[in-house]
Amino acid sequence: MTLETILPPERVLFDVPGGSKKRVLEFFSTFIAQNIPSLDSQEVFSRLIGRERLGSTGIGNGVAIPHARSPHCSAPIAGFLKLAEAIDFDAIDGDPVDLVFVLLVPEEADDTHLSLLGQVATIMNDADTRQKLRKAGSQRELLELLTAKIREQTTS
Amino acid sequence: MDAIYMFFLVGGSLMALSILASRLSSMMGVPLLLIFLGLGMLAGEEGVLGVVFDDYSMAFAIGHLALAMILLDGGLRTRLKTFRVGFKPALSLATFGVFITSAIVGVIAMWIFDLTIVQGLLVGAIVGSTDAAAVFSMLSGRGVNLNERVGATLEIESGTNDPMAIFLTLMLVELLVGDIGGPTETLLFFISQFGIGLIVGLGGGWLSAKLLRWLDLAPGLYAMLALALGFSVFGLTSVLGGSGFLAIYLAGLMIGNQPGRHLNFILPVHDGLAWLSQIGLFLVLGLLVTPSELWDVALPAGLVALALIFIARPLAVLITIKPFFKFRWRETFFIAWVGLRGAVPIVLAIFPVIGGVENASLYFNVAFAVVLMSLLIQGGSLTLMAKWLKVEVPVGTVPNRRGPLGILPENDFELFVYGVENQDLEDVPIRLLRFPSGALISALFRNHTMLHPKGSTRLKLGDVICVIGRSEDLYSLNRLFNGDAKLKQERAFFGTFTLDGSAQMQDIAQAYGLTLSPGEQNMTLAEFIALRVGGHPVVGDDVDWHGIHWVVSDMEGGKITRVGLRLY
Repeated sequence: MTLETILPPERVLFDVPGGSKKRVLEFFSTFIAQNIPSLDSQEVFSRLIGRERLGSTGIGNGVAIPHARSPHCSAPIAGFLKLAEAIDFDAIDGDPVDLVFVLLVPEEADDTHLSLLGQVATIMNDADTRQKLRKAGSQRELLELLTAKIREQTTS
Repeated sequence: MDAIYMFFLVGGSLMALSILASRLSSMMGVPLLLIFLGLGMLAGEEGVLGVVFDDYSMAFAIGHLALAMILLDGGLRTRLKTFRVGFKPALSLATFGVFITSAIVGVIAMWIFDLTIVQGLLVGAIVGSTDAAAVFSMLSGRGVNLNERVGATLEIESGTNDPMAIFLTLMLVELLVGDIGGPTETLLFFISQFGIGLIVGLGGGWLSAKLLRWLDLAPGLYAMLALALGFSVFGLTSVLGGSGFLAIYLAGLMIGNQPGRHLNFILPVHDGLAWLSQIGLFLVLGLLVTPSELWDVALPAGLVALALIFIARPLAVLITIKPFFKFRWRETFFIAWVGLRGAVPIVLAIFPVIGGVENASLYFNVAFAVVLMSLLIQGGSLTLMAKWLKVEVPVGTVPNRRGPLGILPENDFELFVYGVENQDLEDVPIRLLRFPSGALISALFRNHTMLHPKGSTRLKLGDVICVIGRSEDLYSLNRLFNGDAKLKQERAFFGTFTLDGSAQMQDIAQAYGLTLSPGEQNMTLAEFIALRVGGHPVVGDDVDWHGIHWVVSDMEGGKITRVGLRLY
């Protein structure tokens, strides 16, 4: 299971309105429920927020990787959000967050869950990648960059 | 008169050379103490300067003075909270450990040098204790940050094991000279050494700490008063028949753990004094030895050193620590390896000379050779071993500078100076920083000018920021200003994601699809990890569970507050 297959172009979102951590997660939940009808936005939201309660998924450097398991998804789902302005995410280093990579996995896919999380973290841990993603001026550019980085990571 | 001037010239230039040479140590990785010792030998009777120095009683006095200062500084620097994890194992090492090490080395030395059992044991006792200063100058000089369990154990061990070695040496010397009576007398001697040392050290230390805190003195005098009080405790204890070395370490401990602004004046001065003692002591010892005599015993003494390093110390550590305390194997190995010998054995080796034991120079030369070998073999490989045995914990950013404002007598505000090195802070307005609520950015320096920071001021790489806050804000501040490289290192060690210690295990199990046994259902993450680690957890402890590496990444007191998840 590679990241590329679970992150189709329409789920790479550019210029997402920020506001707060809660608002962003709400935004994504609504979006994903529209994108994949089997998902319930309320359910996704409560799972994501539930995970945040255990400790913020803001991993530092302005990046957050909210993730959760959901009984209603049949295969892993990823989404990428570049926020219009950085928001407070209780991140580990306290930095405001503007790059959000969301992961949802089916309940039975535990090993995949961890390996996908590891892949996302590796990509987002690269300073150069983050800087380029921040500089992206359009959805197209963002998508191209992200796809290139994901491919780079899978082949290496 | 000329002799005095010569003393100034030779003494001063030797000191200066030693300090300059300390730069060499960090560049080439040669143990620092070895350099001092080498300089002393070079200046000595068979070296370049040809200074003849054979005054054992003067070396003895200097040795006492220097050791007392080093131990006082060691006590001042030891935080009582590290006793939580380090005290019991260290105590076991400092008493039974020294005993076992000395006995094993003693038997081997008896066999190698064809000595009587008492003579052999004397060799063992002399080299029985590890050296606090040797261990710590080595560790901090290389930027090695040990995990707290290992660090605290080694630190407290090296501070407390000298009295035991001194006691054993004194006892054996008296036995050899024939001054000692029966076993009851020996036992009484033992009890008075430790009992009086403990009582006077703790009591005197407590009073000194109170006095220092209460007095209002010129800043420069605090350190001198602490030194004077420490020496008085040392002297009083010794006069009463106790162990002065134990007492002065304890006094330092009491003074150093009484918070207050006086500590800020005391600690830097004592750091310097400890260095001075180190350098002076090793120079004198280097002068005292006659290298050609050393050469004569090089081979057998080398064997004794190897036996100490590879047999006696590991066995002693294994017996005194492994069965009783929850140390991992790699931690036990590391402690076994870091049994560095320093000045104490050489000073102890002067005891037989002073006491008039026959063939006394043998003890001195053997001790000298053992210390040389130990510094070379163990000291030289310390950093490598720490990496290899994974007992290191990465250190994040700390303020470039910090200092108390000196306004409130207790829990004072401090000034922290940070540089902006974190790329992700570039162009971030100050109001978006997650700043601890009690702290304040008071000034921002950019291109040699001071800016008045406002909420809208955007940070730039290379800015220097002055923050006024309290020490409890440090954690969040350090996180905030952590540079990229450090953050990466920390992430590789502690994992990408961090969970709160107070999170419920059942919620975590739910989020990651993990199976819990019934007893674990109602635990918090902190309790769960503490249980899995066993004993006292420390930062850096890790547990493998369900294909995830769970790493303790932050603690407060004895409680785990954050746990990192390292994924594979």
